[in-house]
Amino acid sequence: MKISEIFKLSLEAMRERKARSALTIIMVLAGSGLMIALNGISAGQSEFIKKQLNTLAPNILFVNNGQRSFRGGGDTSQTPSIVINSIVVDRIKSLPYVSDVVPGYQAQVTLDAAGNVITSSVIATDPQKIYLVDPSLELIPSSSIQPNNPSAIIFGDSVANPPGKSTPFVTLGQTIRATYNYVDQDSGKQQQISKSFVVTGIIAPTGNNQLDRAVIINTASGDSLFNKGGKFDQMIVAANSADYVPAVQNEITTLYGTNIGITTPKAILEARERFTSGNNAFIQNVAFIALFVGAIGIVTTLYNAVNERIAEIGTIKAIGATRLFILLMFLFEAMMIGLIGSTLGVMSGMVGAYALSSIGGPRPGIGGPGGGAMRPIFPEFIPNDIIDVWLLSVALSVIAGLYPAWKASGLSPVLALKR
Amino acid sequence: MSDNKSQIALEVNDITKVFATRAGIFEALKGISFVINRGEFVSIVGPSGSGKSTLLNIIGALDRPTSGKVYIDGIDIFSLRDGEIAAMRNKLIGFIFQSFNLINRSTVQKNVELPAIISDMSKQERKRRALLLLESLGVAEKARLKTSSLSGGQQQRVAIARALINNPTMVLADEPTGNLDTKTGNEVFDLLRVLSTKFRRNVIFVTHNQELAKKTDRIIYIKDGVIEREVLN
Repeated sequence: MKISEIFKLSLEAMRERKARSALTIIMVLAGSGLMIALNGISAGQSEFIKKQLNTLAPNILFVNNGQRSFRGGGDTSQTPSIVINSIVVDRIKSLPYVSDVVPGYQAQVTLDAAGNVITSSVIATDPQKIYLVDPSLELIPSSSIQPNNPSAIIFGDSVANPPGKSTPFVTLGQTIRATYNYVDQDSGKQQQISKSFVVTGIIAPTGNNQLDRAVIINTASGDSLFNKGGKFDQMIVAANSADYVPAVQNEITTLYGTNIGITTPKAILEARERFTSGNNAFIQNVAFIALFVGAIGIVTTLYNAVNERIAEIGTIKAIGATRLFILLMFLFEAMMIGLIGSTLGVMSGMVGAYALSSIGGPRPGIGGPGGGAMRPIFPEFIPNDIIDVWLLSVALSVIAGLYPAWKASGLSPVLALKR
Repeated sequence: MSDNKSQIALEVNDITKVFATRAGIFEALKGISFVINRGEFVSIVGPSGSGKSTLLNIIGALDRPTSGKVYIDGIDIFSLRDGEIAAMRNKLIGFIFQSFNLINRSTVQKNVELPAIISDMSKQERKRRALLLLESLGVAEKARLKTSSLSGGQQQRVAIARALINNPTMVLADEPTGNLDTKTGNEVFDLLRVLSTKFRRNVIFVTHNQELAKKTDRIIYIKDGVIEREVLN
């Protein structure tokens, strides 16, 4: 039995029903393409999260005045319960395994640079301590950190050079005006405080959204601009090493119970990874169902083909074809539908993943307050994943073809010839 | 005696065929026995429902008898396994059907080559044989056309070529002229006649047409599942 000849007969049969074959191929294509696209996006997200984790110092804890909970995309809710002031800072600093505590303020301000206005997150802290969060952080040439200069401001890369804009928002040495809006608690009226700053530094891209999409001023400037009166929004607590993070977390919790919120970068990333993987698992299931529907399409197509070709099957059997010959004829059709569908699916899935990435919504940011900024995530394609999806699609197609092929091969020639 | 044995191409021995239908048990063949010698052109004649097609299907191993045996070249064909029966159909038997049973999406040549493809004949050889047969049957110029573009007579010639490609010892023709006009039917019949006289092939010809049946070597009349009579022409 020449397999190549059976293959040619199958191909001829497929050509006869071009439209139906094409539609079935599209069903397989959709399923495998969806799986490839989602695998790629999922791998891209994982890689993105890993990269962000690598930019963070593993020994830090973000501490704030209340419980924080993650809702994804950096959105947080909090219930203020204790006031973080210099006494609290000193107390935490005195705890065992704590090497440093950096308090800070955080708010949203409007920045006006030569008439261009944007809204940005401001971190008011000791600028020299930003290396605690990201030890590999670098400033662009000619930048300087001036911790005691109340007019100095350092820009994150994405604020200084907004994505999609051909010109930078600010350059080194430029003067900008920051305006903070708030509601006065006594009068209930909207108030506004403005202050001018000089750009003394721009941070090179870090991959950490909290830093890339914020501006940094010193603590004193923040206190006066935000009218905080020494009540900090957050602290960055540095443990002696990553191994001591749980111990420090335990110490702080023992001291303040649930009145204080503690988040570690690792916990944030783990929570986001859990969300991402759970989400991906759900979408993967949907994609598998799409592929399964494609397989049902193959069953339907071949089942119809068998019914339409019963007389032909009878004739071929009458002239000496064995069960195996007929079985292979139909299985090859299923296999070709699977091969073409899954190959095109792989290609369209890769293109689709890039398309989906470019039109996606908010990307997960990291860090404590201020996370959740936008950043493109590029899909990653792992060769083994692609091969797995391709093999799964082809295998599912062949399996889907088994029943119709078996039915065709088992037809009684005399009954088939009567049709 | 052994000479007589070697002359026998087909032996049908006490064949019965019973169908279980909703209406009840239907006995289509009731103990049919006959022998066909080599090169003999035999027609089986009978009214509709007499069992002649059922008998032809059993002779061609397309269907199994309820009881009885069929010997082709001395081999009890129903003692063979399914794969062996298929191989026997492929190599020893050529089928010609009333409605031609060609594969319309394929070319004339591919249709003729199909039994040779199944028997693993080399591409060159099967092409050579197919074209030779089409040539001798007068349809060589249609080789590359789809069968659907051919007339009924031409299609039946293609079916005859297909039946002959593997050089079978026996050709089973189930009312091959039934869908053809008289002239074309006669032409097709003459081709079958040539198979018997010139190439010493056994031809078993199921027909309603008494005139054509009278031109065969022998007529087996079947009625209600039994052989009514046999007539030597």
